[in-house]
Amino acid sequence: MQSGADPRDFSDLGARIADTLCKLQRAAGVEVGCSAKRAAWSCGKTTLYRYLPLAGDDVAVRAAKHARPILICFALVNRPYILDLQPDRSLVRRLLEAGHTVYLIDWGDAGDGERCTDLEDYLERHLAGCVAHVLEAHGLPALDLLGVCQGGVLSLCYTALHPRQVANLVTLTTPVDFHTADNLLSKWVRGLDADLVCATGNVPGEVLNGLFLALSPVRLAQQKYVRLLAAGADQRAVEDFVRMEKWIFDSPPQAAAALAQFVRWFYQENRLLHGTLEIGGRPVNLRDIRQPVLNLYAAQDHIVPPAAAAAMERCIGSKDYESCAIDTGHIGMYVSRAAREDIPQRISSWLKARR
Amino acid sequence: MSSGFRPEAAFVSAAEHFFDLMKSFGAQPGAGGAAAADPAKLAGSLASQFEQWLRATQSAGPWFSPGAGGGSGPAGIAAAFSPGAFGQGPFNPGAVTPPEGQRSWELITQLAQVQAQLATHWHEIATSAASQFAARLGSLASGPPTLQSALKVYELWVDCAEAAYGATVRKDDFAGLQSQLANLSAALLVEQRKHAETLARAFGLPTRNEVDALYGQIKELRRQVAALGEGRATAAVHQKAQRQGPQRKAARRKGAQRPAAARKTVSAAARARKRRT
Repeated sequence: MQSGADPRDFSDLGARIADTLCKLQRAAGVEVGCSAKRAAWSCGKTTLYRYLPLAGDDVAVRAAKHARPILICFALVNRPYILDLQPDRSLVRRLLEAGHTVYLIDWGDAGDGERCTDLEDYLERHLAGCVAHVLEAHGLPALDLLGVCQGGVLSLCYTALHPRQVANLVTLTTPVDFHTADNLLSKWVRGLDADLVCATGNVPGEVLNGLFLALSPVRLAQQKYVRLLAAGADQRAVEDFVRMEKWIFDSPPQAAAALAQFVRWFYQENRLLHGTLEIGGRPVNLRDIRQPVLNLYAAQDHIVPPAAAAAMERCIGSKDYESCAIDTGHIGMYVSRAAREDIPQRISSWLKARR
Repeated sequence: MSSGFRPEAAFVSAAEHFFDLMKSFGAQPGAGGAAAADPAKLAGSLASQFEQWLRATQSAGPWFSPGAGGGSGPAGIAAAFSPGAFGQGPFNPGAVTPPEGQRSWELITQLAQVQAQLATHWHEIATSAASQFAARLGSLASGPPTLQSALKVYELWVDCAEAAYGATVRKDDFAGLQSQLANLSAALLVEQRKHAETLARAFGLPTRNEVDALYGQIKELRRQVAALGEGRATAAVHQKAQRQGPQRKAARRKGAQRPAAARKTVSAAARARKRRT
């Protein structure tokens, strides 16, 4: 690069920075979560939400058409509103538009009272309570379960433990093999003393934020802002950007016991893959999952590598198994163009074909 | 949302960083032309800036802790694994006095040693990134500098920085150091809390151990209640089945007393089935 650049080439850079900064400040109060919902059931900090049908829906017809509701089980480590971020970026909304009845579990913030809450509690009290409520409300013996990321792992465990309650299982970016060579997160936490971490108490969300960003720090903490600057984004694009930022930096605190178990059992000992996992003294065997399974994962995922998710095929007992690697990254599975169009359509048509 | 996070602060930090890099590249008015013209000097300048950035994030503590600049740091693995990441200790290191604080001091010393070892990795990453960048700059460096060409150069720099970072942080020794850092930080906090518990006991206040033990008891009680509930439900189903038994028998008897025409239809259908088989 030649030295002595012409100042005029960069004359608008300062103005552009100031302009983007103003837009960011104006966008500070953007709302996240767009579809109407109501709390249907709760247990501790966990709340089960039922999304209300979209305006103009003929509820009765739709209810008769697609009677079995979908229960979305999101991760403990992130907020579930990413699935309903804004009207044009909402998996929930697309499913509602397709006529599905949608429930979603929000695990809430683990406080001091949840320090000892473990995976058995989350699975057998919280998730089981949500499932029981939905089944009772609809008078059905089974529902369709949609597990996302870590929530997919919980969904796999739940389905293996309570196979009769799950008619169809859909997993999104769900790791099964935690020891694939490209899993950097797994490599980093392999040497953690999980019991010691548990003894320190709940883990703040900031620690998780830091961990996720550290996987690719220059891109995630620098480049995206420079790209925003370079793009000369309008106010609406800046608001979209800020919504994503809100979500990225909004990891909830983690219950110490559950996180320690998750790190030890899944990341360190890879029990789900090896069939050695037990929850509450009961073995969790993925071979017990015999219902139809749709496994969607991202081809460029830096948090759940594709091989980690694709390993499910080797482990489950279902003969009706379908998988698809979507050409996007981990977060792209929730907010990219594929997330807006391809993924909801795939899920909906796959479920409808199995009613 | 994490308290204190402001995307505009992170944006300003990134923009400042971009400006600094542009100065190093010689694409920014007022930049030292000599540094930009000499690849070795350019690599040295970039390595220095990058290492400084990595070190700053390494010692930043939790991402949004006071003084972290409201998101101006790159979060980073160090933030996640650093002392304080798991919560605040009850004492400052200076407040812990020997002999009670002996173990704490040992841990603090070990932490400093691990951080020093990590610093060699930050240096390695920065040097590798800068030399990769200088080697790949090639044709991008020709032509009059414009904002667009500067952005292309910036993208190349990000690629090189990420490649160098990724190569190092995947190494076993780096992962091992990070685990050590996290474990030592956690151990330090646990150690400090032990002192706090001693004080709590002295004042008759409940301690962490007591609370955990109580939670264990609640959990066990919850299990027992659930088991009782399941037992009752099973018994209810059993009783219902027993009550329904005589009713069903009666219904069957009633069926046997159906009108002859109906019985005939049934038997005709049965005969038809029999013929088919």
